[in-house]
Amino acid sequence: MIFASGALAAPYRPQSDSEIVETLPAGTAPAADRATRALRAAVARDPNNLDLALRLAGLYVTRARIDSDPRQLGRAEAALAPWWNTADSPVPVLVLRATIEQSNHVFADARTHLERALAQQPANAQARLTLATVQQVTGDFPGAAESCARLADVAAAIVAVTCQASVDGLTGRAAQAYDALDRVLAPSAARKDSASVGLRSWATTLQAEIAERLDRLEDAERLYRASRALDPHDAYTIAAYADFLLDQQRYAEVIDLIPGDTPVDTLLLRRVQAAARSGAADAADTADDLAQRFAALRARGDRVHLREEARYTLEILRAPDAALALAVENWRVQKEPLDARIALEAALAAHRPQAAREVLQAIASTHLEGARIAELAREARGP
Amino acid sequence: MIGRLLFALCFSLFAAPAFAHKPSDSYLALRVSDAAIEGHWDIAVRDLDAVFDLDRNADGKIDWGEIDGRRAEIDVYAASRLALSSAGNPCPLTITDHEVDRHTDGGYLVVNLRAVCSAPVDALDVDYSLLFDIDALHRGLLKLETGSASVTSAVFSASTRRQSFTLGGLSAWTQLRGYIGEGIEHIATGFDHLLFLVALLLPSVLVRRGRHWEPVTSFPRAVRSVAGTVTAFTLAHSITLSLATLSVVSLPSRLVESLIALSVLLTALDNLWPILPRRRWQVAFAFGLLHGFGFASVLADLQLPPRALALSLFGFNLGVEIGQLVLVVVLVPLVYLVRRTRTYPRTGLASASAVIGVLSTGWLIERSLDLRLLPF
Repeated sequence: MIFASGALAAPYRPQSDSEIVETLPAGTAPAADRATRALRAAVARDPNNLDLALRLAGLYVTRARIDSDPRQLGRAEAALAPWWNTADSPVPVLVLRATIEQSNHVFADARTHLERALAQQPANAQARLTLATVQQVTGDFPGAAESCARLADVAAAIVAVTCQASVDGLTGRAAQAYDALDRVLAPSAARKDSASVGLRSWATTLQAEIAERLDRLEDAERLYRASRALDPHDAYTIAAYADFLLDQQRYAEVIDLIPGDTPVDTLLLRRVQAAARSGAADAADTADDLAQRFAALRARGDRVHLREEARYTLEILRAPDAALALAVENWRVQKEPLDARIALEAALAAHRPQAAREVLQAIASTHLEGARIAELAREARGP
Repeated sequence: MIGRLLFALCFSLFAAPAFAHKPSDSYLALRVSDAAIEGHWDIAVRDLDAVFDLDRNADGKIDWGEIDGRRAEIDVYAASRLALSSAGNPCPLTITDHEVDRHTDGGYLVVNLRAVCSAPVDALDVDYSLLFDIDALHRGLLKLETGSASVTSAVFSASTRRQSFTLGGLSAWTQLRGYIGEGIEHIATGFDHLLFLVALLLPSVLVRRGRHWEPVTSFPRAVRSVAGTVTAFTLAHSITLSLATLSVVSLPSRLVESLIALSVLLTALDNLWPILPRRRWQVAFAFGLLHGFGFASVLADLQLPPRALALSLFGFNLGVEIGQLVLVVVLVPLVYLVRRTRTYPRTGLASASAVIGVLSTGWLIERSLDLRLLPF
């Protein structure tokens, strides 16, 4: 037991050479995998070649996003090691670094490196958009709005509009944001812009979330489906849609949407919640699986999963005090609507609404919309 | 090209959940006993694939054959990424076997390893550098086990590659506490020792005048008498406990246990009719020698490693003294308070001694004839 170290079973010797020991995630994208392997070999031969290293790191970060696989982020960082801590890191290195830091929730460092990149290249649209994201996630909405405004001159209209709509959607202007997205996603505009599928999926999911906040549930449903049709594998969209279905008590659809063996923990959480609420046969197994994943992350000292762990702790473990501690710690790091919501839910369940005072202040000052948030905030404020 | 690639990436940043799958970890479990270190090192197959391009047939799957054929290379690689040393002397690694296992994020190659240091390990230096060159967020999760109970956890990262672990200090304290606990437990559940002390202490608040008992005049007098008795008992059993544990003297256990029972019987009888020397400390010392052999057999049953002997001897003895002291502190004030009552010397002392005498007679018969009569 001491030596188990998180292992799921006892070690064994495979019976034959053909026994499969591991299925690589790259199996789903063989071309990208071949490209990665070739670049990796080239970088290994010539580790100080910036161009090669940037291409490899870029591939890794893209794979990390598509597969929701943080393992690739560490590889990207290692490929960039020669330029990582130098005073004159090239701008593309700074931007990739910030992306990795943002993914690991090291938002302050991400911001520093993006500001360094933008000081050298104010027209770097990617750096600007990433900065807007970091500002928004950490609750700096004026900063995010300014970053989005500055995107207008350097990026396609759909990028700047979606960026701004994202901020507006969280600061009391959801209706305007919804309409702006409607316009930019209109068939004529989209064609003119020849916007990529990924871009339109991003904007469409955002519009669905805003529709939800405006209580336009039929529109939300339609938009989530439209986004899924554009990019069926996007984990963010699946998670947002699953949350929408959970709120409508459509648990069977969540279970259909997310396989029980999904490697993506954010998705597994939703499935575990749906299974628990509907009394599905595999509810306990998937919950155990998720608990082991949280434990494995804790063992290495990672704290990126606080939001999900708070939800799990509140709903599955039914430990409101522990969930509240996690949710409050999470709120110090990120301040998105989901973070506000779990903090309020945990504070109410733990009968300590005063613990979510900061969250209530943030909701009041940003004018965050949404029926569920409003209801929780009302309850937490008390009579 | 790069610009476009990165740009495509940035558009999805809003849509990127930061938490997913799992970053790379290896799990290193080491167990230290004397100069030998044994353990296993679980390394993710995905990570080995990133180093060795294991997927030769490019089917997106790694089978055992693809690993088995590269084992020699993997061994050389792994051994070059982990250095164990103690007191400045390296402990060379040998990889003894390979297995596979699963962790939360997939299949792992289990590398069983063994290292031998030049001397018993008191402090272990671990130098860990697996994978950091290709994965900056890789972590090495170490579980270090020493002796019987203590486990230390540590995390190695690209910025923390070398860590030192003091095994002696940590485990010594843990072990010492364990032995003290054993000592306390032994005296608390060893009714023969307890009743011997009770029989010895019951008359400590009285003075013998011919065939009668009279109460002592003051508490300090009683305490002096108790202190003498207890010190003599402690000294005596410490001597024989040490001699027996260090294998200087050894007596057959059945003989020792029978004599202990006899010592309890004689002490109880002496409370009724004087048969032993008048000075209680002499009685306590003489019989204490016997009881020490009894304690030693308990310690022997714990099967201590030779290195821990002095520590265990000290801890166990300390535990016995603590248990004994608790009895004294509870019993002596109690009997002091009742010493002047008419009934204490006649009825209380006599009947308690009689009960102890009967019990010890039972033990004596049991132990000398190897029977089982009493429930304790």
